Amino acid sequence: MSEASERPTPTTGSAPPGHEFVDHPSEAHILVRGRTLAEVAAEAGLALAGLALGEPLPRAMGPWREVDVRSRDRIALLVDWLNELIYLGESERWIPLEFDVLEATTTHIRARMRGVERPESPSLVKAATYHGATLENAGGGLEAHLLLDV
Amino acid sequence: MQALQAVKLSDWMFEIPRSAREDMRVPARVYADAQLWEQISHDKSIEQLINVATLPGVAGYVCAMPDVHQGYGFPVGGIAATRVSDGVISPGGVGYDINCGVRLLATDLTAEEARPRLETAVHDLSRTIPSGPGRNPRLSLDPPDMDRVLAEGCRYLVDRGLATPEDLAVTEAGGCLEAADPAAVSAKAKKRGHDQLGTIGSGNHFVEVQQVDQVFDEDAARAFGLERGCITVLIHTGSRGLGHQVCTDYVRLLDEVMQRYDIRLPDRQLASAPLRSPEGARYFGAMCAAANFAWANRQAITQSVRSVFERMYGDAGHPRLIYDVAHNIAKIETYDDQELCVHRKGATRAFGPASAETPNQYRAHGQPVFIPGSMGTASYVLAGADTSEERSFGSCCHGAGRAMSRGAAKRAVTGAQVRRELEGHGIVVRCASKSGLAEEAPLAYKDVDRVVDVVHRAGLARRVARLIPVGVIKG
Repeated sequence: MSEASERPTPTTGSAPPGHEFVDHPSEAHILVRGRTLAEVAAEAGLALAGLALGEPLPRAMGPWREVDVRSRDRIALLVDWLNELIYLGESERWIPLEFDVLEATTTHIRARMRGVERPESPSLVKAATYHGATLENAGGGLEAHLLLDV
Repeated sequence: MQALQAVKLSDWMFEIPRSAREDMRVPARVYADAQLWEQISHDKSIEQLINVATLPGVAGYVCAMPDVHQGYGFPVGGIAATRVSDGVISPGGVGYDINCGVRLLATDLTAEEARPRLETAVHDLSRTIPSGPGRNPRLSLDPPDMDRVLAEGCRYLVDRGLATPEDLAVTEAGGCLEAADPAAVSAKAKKRGHDQLGTIGSGNHFVEVQQVDQVFDEDAARAFGLERGCITVLIHTGSRGLGHQVCTDYVRLLDEVMQRYDIRLPDRQLASAPLRSPEGARYFGAMCAAANFAWANRQAITQSVRSVFERMYGDAGHPRLIYDVAHNIAKIETYDDQELCVHRKGATRAFGPASAETPNQYRAHGQPVFIPGSMGTASYVLAGADTSEERSFGSCCHGAGRAMSRGAAKRAVTGAQVRRELEGHGIVVRCASKSGLAEEAPLAYKDVDRVVDVVHRAGLARRVARLIPVGVIKG
């Protein structure tokens, strides 16, 4: 992954983005796949929304809003990105569901998002953790494992 | 593989020697009988405990309680004491729900007296106390009041008429850690928590109406104000989103500064800084402030319980606070003349009669300790034992301990089935989320009777009474 600013340009032939929930004795373990870091970030956001709202997810509504997250490395970046979304969900009762990642480097994500308001804060997820967090090349794309405290 | 290197030291304790892994600084003790040890060996809690044994400045041994299970960073049910002089503090050793804890209220009502209005009472409790993602606009805090809660904990609620001096006398640390530093708590954390005082939250948090089913130690039960058949209320919650954000903020900060202090650890979630570093001291101040918020939260819920019970049952329904104790916290305590920072993550302080921190009225018996079982099963009242000081840094277990993932629980049973089963036992249930009921089903947990039996026999705390639920409000 280069330090240069990266707008998602998926490689042909690599697996499409997706996520799944892996069993964990007490917390929520998500496995996220994407062709680029931008897709991984967006897919991780969708997994979080799924935990908060249940699936199928509702349609995103309202205006776009922008977030900017900076961290020391790619793992910290993904953890910080999710923690920013968790914070927005609980403090503003707003769950992002549609992600347009404008910039994704090893230390920076800038994205615009649309979502839904929920009058009661969806505080099911407390935080994203560093424990067991990985981001590796797999199947021509990227695969991340992230553990959420629920 | 690591489990195979364990040495069985007694029927209640296994030890993984320091030689099991070259980066261990101290041995790791696990309090368990053979059956619990078998269960514990099947997840990663032992590996996580061994990771904890690598913390710089860790003293004596690290230990796991019989309810230990795999978490992140520290296992849930883990204890580590680090030297204040040259050791570290780790936010991961406290967890995201800072000062998650339990308090027990007791009434003069018998179960027979309570039952005719029980369903209405439980319903009113569920309407009065926000649970799940609910907020509490009635206690919304503006910035100055938020800072007072963070600095003063329960004392702030005395001024608001929501606590009494008698309540503070039977709350761990009087419901206030003096080292709290509200300025070390971020604006984000304060925003997350500003309308959450007096709320239960989600996950395994609850308010449970119970009756005393069995008394094991009549003298201690009498001192604690418990009689067989009387109605009690157990409250289990913590510092809500405020505490979660404090942990998030400081895991991030300490992960950044670890290199500066030449700290290398096997898991980034154990991110640490020397206690005497500016960053370590700042986390400690923020953690104490979040702990104060949690005590105030449980106290505010207490007042809601009191208003409902007094309305329903009159004076006999007035719930007295028996005690309030944390099970996710780091505190400075002295052992063998050495100041240590005792991290308890999913472990309850269990000081005995000799401790000056045991309230006067309980001094003959030890500090009350409450061990909630899984939803719908028994909970226990224990008395802390002096022997716990040398065996577990004055600590014991905190619950039954998960044995099954949330996903597996939901595949095994539905929320409707759990509700039917509980109601079949005469338990009134209120829960906003059906899936939440399934996730917390009794089958997802270890046997609390067995867990408590180990703690009792290992001399960490003594059994006093067993409580069974009659009404559950689940977060």
